[in-house]
Amino acid sequence: MKKATSLLLAMGMVVSLAGCGGKSESTSTEPTKAADPTQAPAATEAPAATEAPAATEAAKDPVDLTMWCIATESDSNRHAYVTAIDEFKAAHPEINLTWEATQNESYKTKIKAAVAANEMPDIFFTWGAGFIQEFVEADRVYCVDDVYAKYKDELPEVMMGNLKFDGKYYGAPTTFNVVAMFCNMDLLKQAGYDAVPGTYEELLKCCDDLKAKGITPFGCSGKENWAISEYSESMIQKSVGTDKMRAMYEGKESWNNPDVIKAIDSLQEMVKKEYFDPAAVALSNDEVKANFIAGKYAFYINGTWNVADMVANGLDDKVQVAEFPVINPANAQLGELIGGANDSLAVAASSKNAAVAAETCFELARGICHYGNLDGVGIPAWKPFYDTSSLSKMSNTVADIVANASKTVLFGDNFLSADKANIYLDYVGQAYATAIDGQAYAEGLDNDLK
Amino acid sequence: MDNKSIVNTKKMKSRGSSSRQGNRVKETWVYILFGFWAIVNLFPIYWMFTFSLKDNTEIFGENVAGLPKHWLWSNYSKALGIGNIGRNFINSIIVAVVTILIVMLVSLMATFALTRFVWKGRKRMNSFFMLGLTIPIHASIVPIYTTLSRLHLLNTYLALIIPYAAFSLAMGILICTGFMQELPIDLDEAACIDGCGTWRIFFKIIVPLMKPAVATVSIYTFLQCWNELMFANIFISDSAHKTLPVGIQSLSGQYMTDWGPVGAALVMATFPTLLFYIFFSKKIQDSFIAGAIKG
Amino acid sequence: MKKLYSNKLTIFLFILPALLLFVVILVAPIFLSGYYSLFKWNGFGKKVFLGLSNYKELFTSNSIGFIRALGNSLLLAAFSVGIQLPISLGLALLLGKGRKGERGFLSIYFMPVLISTVVIGQLWLKIYNPEYGVLNVFLRSIGLEKLTQIWLGNKATALGAAFVPVLWQYVGYHMLLMYAGIKSVPTEYREAAMIDGAREGQINRYIVLPYIKPILKISTIFAVTGSLKSFDLIYVLTNGGPLHATEVPSTLMINMLFLRNRYGMGSTIAFLLIILCFFFALIIGLIFREKED
Repeated sequence: MKKATSLLLAMGMVVSLAGCGGKSESTSTEPTKAADPTQAPAATEAPAATEAPAATEAAKDPVDLTMWCIATESDSNRHAYVTAIDEFKAAHPEINLTWEATQNESYKTKIKAAVAANEMPDIFFTWGAGFIQEFVEADRVYCVDDVYAKYKDELPEVMMGNLKFDGKYYGAPTTFNVVAMFCNMDLLKQAGYDAVPGTYEELLKCCDDLKAKGITPFGCSGKENWAISEYSESMIQKSVGTDKMRAMYEGKESWNNPDVIKAIDSLQEMVKKEYFDPAAVALSNDEVKANFIAGKYAFYINGTWNVADMVANGLDDKVQVAEFPVINPANAQLGELIGGANDSLAVAASSKNAAVAAETCFELARGICHYGNLDGVGIPAWKPFYDTSSLSKMSNTVADIVANASKTVLFGDNFLSADKANIYLDYVGQAYATAIDGQAYAEGLDNDLK
Repeated sequence: MDNKSIVNTKKMKSRGSSSRQGNRVKETWVYILFGFWAIVNLFPIYWMFTFSLKDNTEIFGENVAGLPKHWLWSNYSKALGIGNIGRNFINSIIVAVVTILIVMLVSLMATFALTRFVWKGRKRMNSFFMLGLTIPIHASIVPIYTTLSRLHLLNTYLALIIPYAAFSLAMGILICTGFMQELPIDLDEAACIDGCGTWRIFFKIIVPLMKPAVATVSIYTFLQCWNELMFANIFISDSAHKTLPVGIQSLSGQYMTDWGPVGAALVMATFPTLLFYIFFSKKIQDSFIAGAIKG
Repeated sequence: MKKLYSNKLTIFLFILPALLLFVVILVAPIFLSGYYSLFKWNGFGKKVFLGLSNYKELFTSNSIGFIRALGNSLLLAAFSVGIQLPISLGLALLLGKGRKGERGFLSIYFMPVLISTVVIGQLWLKIYNPEYGVLNVFLRSIGLEKLTQIWLGNKATALGAAFVPVLWQYVGYHMLLMYAGIKSVPTEYREAAMIDGAREGQINRYIVLPYIKPILKISTIFAVTGSLKSFDLIYVLTNGGPLHATEVPSTLMINMLFLRNRYGMGSTIAFLLIILCFFFALIIGLIFREKED
């Protein structure tokens, strides 16, 4: 419990530094939250974990609410959603909640269609920042300032950064995730390493040693550019530093600087030396992950939501989670991470019971956060009010990494709007395939992300 | 198509003269070519069937192309159970059947007006409909999509049925015209003398005589709906209404590393049409020929 | 009778459902696509009028790569006309001459047409799988390990690998059309030529081919417009990747619409596709007409 609290505090700092989201929004750099001047009147009510939403009048009239999300049966968040929703339903018989889950890619099409037709469900899953921004700008998302005021103590303001536009809040985050390096310690041991290489030079040396033993160091899907970006962003971040990286996404800084170019060139050098499994260019991320789980690669860099899968496959003792080492110590330090609280629930502006839906949205987000954390699909965006001693070793390591983090910046494709995100990912893919070099990468992004 | 039977009786003749040595060698080569091309066409289907009954160890090395050593029917229950393929199958059937009914009725009615009635501009109207043969279905996706979403029709069967019907209409009219022109006008006159009105002539006389056209159009329309992916993929995003092509696509996405169930789903999507084809191959081939030759 | 069959209201009622369906779903969208193509629009926000700059961007922007996509589909069209149709024609001529078992072979060759393109795509994905696919397994087993490839993942081979199933699937379709045409050549023509001592090749050249010209025209139109609008198989096999090596206009369009929220640009591609299809159908028609004279 103590650990969780300190983690939360640390994360508070991290995310407040991270900021992000709306282009018009200036990033808050205060580590502690000052009271919001536009606070809702309901703020006097002391929020407690067991508090009922939808106040008193809602209890009399049964309310029908609908919710859409992406927690399909094959999704690792499924269990957290089902448990949280069941719990919510049991506690709130006056709310008749129906929900459906759609597979990730179809969901993006589906929710956009619903937004276009103004036919959204009351509550919907969304990604923060670039994804929800266009919906907010089209006035389709309900502003949750009033409700958030009640939950402020449980959900630190810093976690709301990706849902904040023009000083207003438009949803509730569930989990917080960062990019991490998963390391297969059995394979490292075969190459003579007992610990994860702590510096970039050591990591490269380790790759050579692994290659000498016939072990492929990295696996990365060449088919899904977002998966490549987990590698490229880690390297760029540890070369230029978090603040500069964010400024590059925002268009305030040029991509064309020697550190970015060098990072991409180094990535390509690793590809050329076959540190990356060459066969993986034709594989999906799921296939690559399966390969890593099967012990084919020594390292796999991807989001911390994978912890659940790793643990479920019995790798809790075999695999260690680590942070990508620093490449240029002049610009970046350990503790700078890629990630953020981006998975969120939001309420449609068109909802007939928007106020009730908003409270339900926060209650559900908290529940999903809680069970998702226990399942290992993410770090909590909310303050844990539950026993965290049953967490897997891997989840605890992730928590430690985040607790020691100083700065974060969101995944590039989440940070940017849909159009720009795809252009960006395109460049990432081309860089990984060594179709363009670091210089062309930097210049191209400067040109096309305007 | 009407003159095919004549040819069949005559073909014996041309074969009778091929008794010389050189001809025999040539014939052998022709049959080798036929056999080779048959393998090129059949092998993928055979391979799909066998790997749908294998586990990964067999598929991935022990026994790549042979018959399965252990016939793993559980792959099929897996595909049905986890993958929702059964549901997708039913959806595809519903969409196809309703589309066929609409196309049939609407194109018969239009053909009736275009062939039986005498009016100015019917030629032009006919060629207007024939434009539909060249319009690519994909190109209208945005307007149809936005219209459907405004009418709140996305994620319903109608979201697919209406566009499918519209895009099969041109072919429906084309085929029906061919058949209806062959019906003697005397029939209508006799009915007219008996005191039938236009609607009765249409439903009591014409429609029952159009059975061959119905079969041809149905087959053509069926295959269009059964296989369509782009609209189905975009207009339907909830699993309750997904059709077979979309279902297979998402199942394969989920079971990248487990080939057996994917193979089972592929087989289930394919074998009904193939079985049907084995029994009605001539009819099915004719329906494809009809569209193209008359156009 | 005449009176009955010239009643304007009845005509109208009979033609109305077809006309309605046709105009609303097929014709109106063409004009709407043309209209949307003049705007910057994300599908739900405000439309911003751009004039023709979507078209300009489409043809000049490297990051969109429309020219490459169009080039790919034209290449497919060329393969289709240059490889697929000759194979179909050859088979149709051999079968159409009247040989034992021709119907059986015909039925087998037509089979792939009936299989859903998604199934074909998934099946060929497995065939091409670098580790376990039959293609590489076969190459390894006959000692040609060197030739094994990551067929769909390698920029150099992906386009060719994606084209093979597309061409393969529809050989049977064109063959069937041509076969039907060949079968409808009146036997007297053949016999007369044979009496004159014409060889099989000559009969085909001077009697059969001119006779089935209308079908060759239809096949060519289908092959070319089909290539221009090809989507399903490419979508399943590569979805335009790796690095846009196999991008065709339709995959690009879907990308614009549903990944990048650019409805205006998507409509621009759609509108161009329609125009191109009409254009090529017209050109092919003209080519065949000239030859007739």
